[in-house]
Amino acid sequence: MIDTLIATLVSGLVLGSLYAMMASGLSVIWTTLGVFNFAHGALMMIGAFVAWTVSEAAGLGLLVGIASGTLAAALLGVLIERLLVRPYYGNRNMLLITVMTTLAAMIILEKGAQMIWGARLKQLPRLVDGEISIFGATISAHEAILVVLAPLILLSIWRFTVRTNVGRSLRAVGQNQRSAALIGIDVPVAFAIAFGLSAALAGLTGALLGSIRFITPSMGAEPLVKAMIVVIFGGLGSLGATAGAAYIIGIIEALLILWLGLYWTPFVLFLMMIVVLVFRPTGIFGSSQ
Amino acid sequence: MGRLLDISQVTAGYGSITVLRNISIGVDAGECIGLFGPNGHGKTTLLQTISGLLRPAGGRISFEGTDITGARPRDIVNAGLIQSPQGNTLFGDMHVLETLELASISRRARRGRDENLRRVFDLFPQLGERRSQKAKTLSGGERQMLSIGCALMCSPRLLMLDEPTLGLSPRLKKELAGAVGNIARSGVPLVIVEQDVEFLLSLTQRLYMIEHGEVIREIDRANAPDHDSIMKLYFGEAVH
Repeated sequence: MIDTLIATLVSGLVLGSLYAMMASGLSVIWTTLGVFNFAHGALMMIGAFVAWTVSEAAGLGLLVGIASGTLAAALLGVLIERLLVRPYYGNRNMLLITVMTTLAAMIILEKGAQMIWGARLKQLPRLVDGEISIFGATISAHEAILVVLAPLILLSIWRFTVRTNVGRSLRAVGQNQRSAALIGIDVPVAFAIAFGLSAALAGLTGALLGSIRFITPSMGAEPLVKAMIVVIFGGLGSLGATAGAAYIIGIIEALLILWLGLYWTPFVLFLMMIVVLVFRPTGIFGSSQ
Repeated sequence: MGRLLDISQVTAGYGSITVLRNISIGVDAGECIGLFGPNGHGKTTLLQTISGLLRPAGGRISFEGTDITGARPRDIVNAGLIQSPQGNTLFGDMHVLETLELASISRRARRGRDENLRRVFDLFPQLGERRSQKAKTLSGGERQMLSIGCALMCSPRLLMLDEPTLGLSPRLKKELAGAVGNIARSGVPLVIVEQDVEFLLSLTQRLYMIEHGEVIREIDRANAPDHDSIMKLYFGEAVH
């Protein structure tokens, strides 16, 4: 019984790390531009495919593959901002319009990936072989790397937004675009950086996930939905709240799978999301103004 | 000519609404000027057009001899043409010190950062006391100080202040007016937008009265109107 519980908590931790990396990317874009990027999951998938192509098809090794996947996703993110988001700045319906344009980007990327890489399932090798035992629960060493890496990455993003002028300028643009422009911040550049950073996070997540799950054109859909639940649960805006919510959702999901099974778990997660939206629209950790 | 800031025949507005009509204004080196006039007649629009937030539909703006018509706000800040906007709330969730440091992000302001920071804290000791407080917790007067402080962090070669004392108590207004006077004496040319003409006359050499997006009167110290004629300018002739 205890063993099962520990195993479940550890698998919740792995899920939480995955969601934290995805959701923090959504959060960066939201806090800077005030839009929601539905292509975020597709960018994660591109990261995985590019990593596979470079690492396996071209045989350049996994680390080069992961770096290429991250970079490719970042460039695509900047491109999406430039082509599908920037034309609508200042538009009164920007939020709704960009829901549609980023959804379009998601479809284009998914179908494009299907055309380029085909339907056959692909998988990356693991960064390290072997398994690690935590209080009797066993996970692969690769998953353990993900668990350690996620908080480190979140911490460095947080430090970036608090300590560096470039990071601060992203927050400033999110809080008051006009004032930001008047102190000399290049607002369009800040938008591009936010999208690039967010997409790089998605790409890195995808490249790491490609060793655990199968790489398919639609592999990003489920993590995107979970990341959305996380940001609604935690409240958009603060990186700490997003990260906390990611781990809570990951562990709740693992427990629900244990108790209710795979079939009912998404149902309960969405129910939780609706309850939060009704009673605490600013999120569990969001400040109620 | 060689004026510091030269605005000639500028037309600008929002969408199909024209706010500024062929407006021409100039600032010479070492000079402080004031803009006044009724609300909603284009003073703020003029400053936004100069700062590059609005693209003029016609006319030409040049700063230190360089054409900056339609330039990006960032490049205008880089050139040293700085605005402290009206009723500014700045960045609510950022600390005072963080905000001031960020304000020196432009290339030319970075060099003078430490010196500018000292200057801002000398001018507004209150900001020094509140340096680790979030901007949204500041009082109206302190926010205004922070806004002017940010503008000073940009190493201005010309500073435009949009109603720096708007909505403040008389005591705070006096304090801020003193600070603005200090800035002027330190040699920074100013463009001040204000409703209070006497306040403007005490700080500036020349005033422009703006109505319906046009300069309808230019006033200098030599032909400065007295209190009654200022009232007449604003409210028209009283008919008994």
